[in-house]
Amino acid sequence: MTAPAALDRKAAVAVRGLSKTYAGTLALDSLDLDIRPGEIHALLGGNGSGKSTTIKILAGVVVPDDGGLLTVGEGETVAAETWTPARAHAAGLRFVHQQPAVFPQLTVAENLAIGAGFPRRAGGGIDWKALNARTAQLLEKYRVNTTPTTPLGALRAADRSRVAIVRALQDCDDKDGGLLVLDEPTAALPAAEVEHLLAALRGYAAAGQTILYVSHRLDEVLSVADRVTVLRDGRKVDTVDADGLTEADLVQMIVGRSMDRAFPAPRETPAEDVALQVRGLAGGPLQGVDLDLRRGEVLGIAGLLGSGRSELLRMLFGAYPATAGTVTLDGAAYDAADPKQAMRAGVAYVPEERQADAVFPQESVRHNLSAGQAWDFYRNLFFRHAEERAATGRSISEFLVRTRNDKQPVETLSGGNQQKVVLARWLRQRPKVLLLDEPTQGVDVQARAEIYDLVRRATAAGTSVLLVASDTEELAHASDRVAVLKGGRITAVVEQPLDAHHLTELMNVSEATP
Amino acid sequence: MADTAVEPAAPMAALADEGGLPVSRGSAVSGHAMTFARKYSLPVLLLASFVLYGSWSKTSEVFLSADNLRNMAAGQAVLGVLTLGILLTMVSGHFDLSIGNIAGLSSIITAALFSHQHVPLVVGILAGIAVGTVVGGINGVLVTVLRVDPFIITLGTASIILGYIDWYTHGQSIINGIPTSLVSFGGSNLLGIPKVVYVLGAVALLVYYLMEHTPYGRNLHAIGSNKAAARLVGIRVERTIIVAFASTGAFAGVAGVLLLARTGAGNPQVGTTFTLTAVAAAFLGAASFKVGRLNVPGTIVAIFFLAVNITGLTFAGVENWINQLFTGLTLVLAIALAAVLSKERKTRKAAS
Repeated sequence: MTAPAALDRKAAVAVRGLSKTYAGTLALDSLDLDIRPGEIHALLGGNGSGKSTTIKILAGVVVPDDGGLLTVGEGETVAAETWTPARAHAAGLRFVHQQPAVFPQLTVAENLAIGAGFPRRAGGGIDWKALNARTAQLLEKYRVNTTPTTPLGALRAADRSRVAIVRALQDCDDKDGGLLVLDEPTAALPAAEVEHLLAALRGYAAAGQTILYVSHRLDEVLSVADRVTVLRDGRKVDTVDADGLTEADLVQMIVGRSMDRAFPAPRETPAEDVALQVRGLAGGPLQGVDLDLRRGEVLGIAGLLGSGRSELLRMLFGAYPATAGTVTLDGAAYDAADPKQAMRAGVAYVPEERQADAVFPQESVRHNLSAGQAWDFYRNLFFRHAEERAATGRSISEFLVRTRNDKQPVETLSGGNQQKVVLARWLRQRPKVLLLDEPTQGVDVQARAEIYDLVRRATAAGTSVLLVASDTEELAHASDRVAVLKGGRITAVVEQPLDAHHLTELMNVSEATP
Repeated sequence: MADTAVEPAAPMAALADEGGLPVSRGSAVSGHAMTFARKYSLPVLLLASFVLYGSWSKTSEVFLSADNLRNMAAGQAVLGVLTLGILLTMVSGHFDLSIGNIAGLSSIITAALFSHQHVPLVVGILAGIAVGTVVGGINGVLVTVLRVDPFIITLGTASIILGYIDWYTHGQSIINGIPTSLVSFGGSNLLGIPKVVYVLGAVALLVYYLMEHTPYGRNLHAIGSNKAAARLVGIRVERTIIVAFASTGAFAGVAGVLLLARTGAGNPQVGTTFTLTAVAAAFLGAASFKVGRLNVPGTIVAIFFLAVNITGLTFAGVENWINQLFTGLTLVLAIALAAVLSKERKTRKAAS
């Protein structure tokens, strides 16, 4: 719990007894929360834990149940149900959502002006000079390394996010600094950009900016937050100092069970029973990859972004051209020219970008499940809809998809459930080899545990899995063995017991060691 | 732009976190009522139009007469076949703006074969359909191989066809030698219903079957929803798109032959206006039955909604300009409606 010493420090934002009932369900149950000035306070929790509700109440867009209290800075304590977006704004609360509405074709200055208005010259024309000067000041203050006239699209992804943050903060007075609420700010960022953004956030906090940070990514939270509040089922589990905390501690708090139990136990697989043998595979960033995937094992691939880990999976699925190398599947030569041939050979692939590459957003759960498998239900000129419905029902229950019915558009499901649909689409075909690229991205801890349970069930039935995950902690827990991909080659294969720090070291060791 | 209009673009991941909150019973019920009203608003409007023109003193005399009803139905056969055909490309998220001209080309070539080469009836008909298939297929190949906006490419082929027809016919209609059996088919009835309406019915059933009851239709829907994902579930995207364009072209070819049967002459002027009306009807059709999705029953209702109102207003004394104006208005309204629906869907998603 919050240390008593903290009570005499003035909180930037304090809430007491905040509750919200939706249609008879308690989404948030008398939440007490203190956010100290200048700290990065992380808010964690799975789907339905109440963290979105909390942010929406702070933003004034959701009205809480009567009885809650809210204090911002030195302002007076108000009844939370009277809070409005205008009051939130006036009190200095600023919100940046996971996909900020920035305009890549416009310049940095124009993007900022869209939030604050364009300065005018006498006569009504836009005063570009004043705008650019003001923008340059802001960029300087928030240490974004660019110029006002650069098109936003030319910036690296993390800097685009920083511009969105600057835009949110630009009209905030310096006196009390307000509160910056970031909702999954790294969800849309490539992994390489994440650290760049986190570094900027640490800098802002050091300069006195108070930040409420909402994320699924435990490693990020641990690297950036001063304190962490965990919610589960609408209730606060605890607020703790991030110092000395491990991912396992967080998982335990979020899920209510320990990390060992959040991941299934690793299995011993006989070395001689190889399902997929790769020799000298090259193309793109790959310089000649050799690896043996044993039957029924989960082989993790540890590699930095750009190491070719995603290309390796795509190549094995026939979706990326290979220039050299041989692949053997169950002892027979395997050379898929396109995804269809890979599928026929029994290889399945869950891509990294779920929204862009895996789901059909407006299509129903049923159609998403049978995407690419429609021929299985078509015989003698008739589409066997009843058969498809039955198969869908089985998949929904077998793969733990939470949906109202199979006609629900898949876009209305949570990230975790969408991912289970994608996984089910492949697993129900009982593939020989399953290629998983970041299968738990944008998925909460609970669903992550379920996804790995499903993967383990598949391996028990004989499927062999190649797993790419940038979170080494996750990789270490979910894999039986891990191959390290570096400079386009496999540089090491690590056996049990797997250790996340060791993997991180292996991925990062400089090749040019003196 | 094509994608956004047909099927709203991929959803923004909004403040979506808590997924599982149950909807209260009350709002679920009113939601059903809303959905019901929306699904059947266009058929109701169509009925209302019948009632209006049937009782309005200016139009009531002729409007509900059997002759007029037959005329209206037969008059929509060409447009109907064309519109049903373009559904196949539109479902996959692509546009073919040359269909009207393909139909024109098919009717000219069929007429020329009859007139100059004296080919047998069946050969002429098949040739007309084949011409449409080939031009459609070329559209498809250009779109998939060059990966350019189908909008632009098909606008280009439309113009090429126009130029070719003008060069070939010198602007003259081909009237001689059209088989009487074909022309009488276009003007006669079976069981009191114009024969061409049976063709329209058959095409509607075929397109409905293709779109909703075959793996091919499933794959078209999938490509229209997310092309990259379609490729990664093993759908052969390019091939499927080329076949879609070729099928749309084939149906445009059928429409061309029907046009010849209806008018008895290969007229070099027809074509272009069909395209816009077909697209308008397809969009309008997506606003009923399966709301937000292109569908066959909605398309049929939309075609007759346009025809009934244009005919009714013409009877009421409004001049010819009403045709273009009404079609244009409908297209704009239908697309605005599609945009509103997609926005609503996003809001609903964010709220859930």
